[in-house]
Amino acid sequence: MAFMLSLMTQEKNLLSEEVDYIQAKGVDGEFGVLTGHTPFLTLLDIGEFLVRKKDSTYSYFVAGGVVEVLPDRVTVLADTIERAEEIDERRAEEARQNALEALKQPISPESRVGYEQVLKREGVRLRIFARRQSARHPGSLEE
Amino acid sequence: MPSLRSIRSRIKSVKNTRQITKAMEMVASAKMRKAQQRVMDTRPYAEKIYELMHRIAYLERSFPNPYFEVRPVKTAGVVLVSTDRGLCGAINANLFRSLTRFMKERPEVNFEFVTIGRNGRDFVRRSGFPLQGVIHGVKDRGTIEEILPATQVVIEEFYEKRHWEEVWIFYTQFESIMSQKPRHEKLLPIDPRILTEEVPSSLTGEYLFEPGRREILEVLIPRYFETVIFQRVLENFASEYSARMIAMKNATANAKEVIYGLTLTYNKLRQANITREISEISSGAEAISQG
Repeated sequence: MAFMLSLMTQEKNLLSEEVDYIQAKGVDGEFGVLTGHTPFLTLLDIGEFLVRKKDSTYSYFVAGGVVEVLPDRVTVLADTIERAEEIDERRAEEARQNALEALKQPISPESRVGYEQVLKREGVRLRIFARRQSARHPGSLEE
Repeated sequence: MPSLRSIRSRIKSVKNTRQITKAMEMVASAKMRKAQQRVMDTRPYAEKIYELMHRIAYLERSFPNPYFEVRPVKTAGVVLVSTDRGLCGAINANLFRSLTRFMKERPEVNFEFVTIGRNGRDFVRRSGFPLQGVIHGVKDRGTIEEILPATQVVIEEFYEKRHWEEVWIFYTQFESIMSQKPRHEKLLPIDPRILTEEVPSSLTGEYLFEPGRREILEVLIPRYFETVIFQRVLENFASEYSARMIAMKNATANAKEVIYGLTLTYNKLRQANITREISEISSGAEAISQG
């Protein structure tokens, strides 16, 4: 049984369609949702967002935002979403290296937190990208 | 009777005007297309978060929260979204008219303003209402950061000082190129009675917040009115460009008509001059031949 998934950021509506299963990383850990889930609201961490529809799985990079789960629909209001195949590996790697360099210098605790955040974000980006390269999930929803 | 020369120079000047209005029309139409796209892209999120916040307010109605609490209204804040520039038809005038009507219907309420856009600021100053914050020069391709000073005022006046009991937003909604409507919405408090969709009774009592409701609402509430205010600013941009495009299109058409009329007068006058000259010459020649 399918449920309605709406996946969007402030700037764009990425997806509005019936799907069978999603998996996301909330601030309290990973969770999966099937139709008829108990209603709940949680904040999103930086992580992979998986969508399963029939036999296909689609992967997204998601950072920050909120998810509302209702029995018949799920709404994701994310701060950042990228489709796994759209991740810019080179840029992510560069940003990660820059953060690593900066963390070696003596810096204020606030900027340290900032760079660690960057490190985490780009690390997750690269992992999702790598996983996609090796697994070659079937194509995107538009195909 | 105007001289040929003066008509010629008027034709020239109207042609110049036409060229300018034509150029402005084209600029507005290019900007309008982009702004329209952006409005369409940003509407779903704003709608969803609006709906979500009101649903939460409904489910949370038994828990006290200053953002959900409905208080008797002595002072209301208005976020007034208008255009920076003119030459965009009557959209600002229509908006101010609907605002004036709104205020007249509530004579017991004091109104205070935050304005986004120069026209609204001028309107508030002219009318002598208190102005708590002013933003202008927001770019149509800008980001949400540009309107954060406005949300700052809203938080301060509504939440910290508890000076405003209500916050409204006034803006011009983009419906189509031909139609833009002045609109207003209540931003705060988040009043579940506005909810368009019935909350299923099955939700009550089993709706979970993870981590806690306080942590989530802390993130969600500022995001709610930032997003909504920003989206309304984008609506206003699309409305502005559409209205300007139409206004300039009409101006160009008018100029064309004026040029047509002037050219006609010019040609008639020229013809009349020629006829007069010929008759002068021929009557002169006749006078000579008779003499």
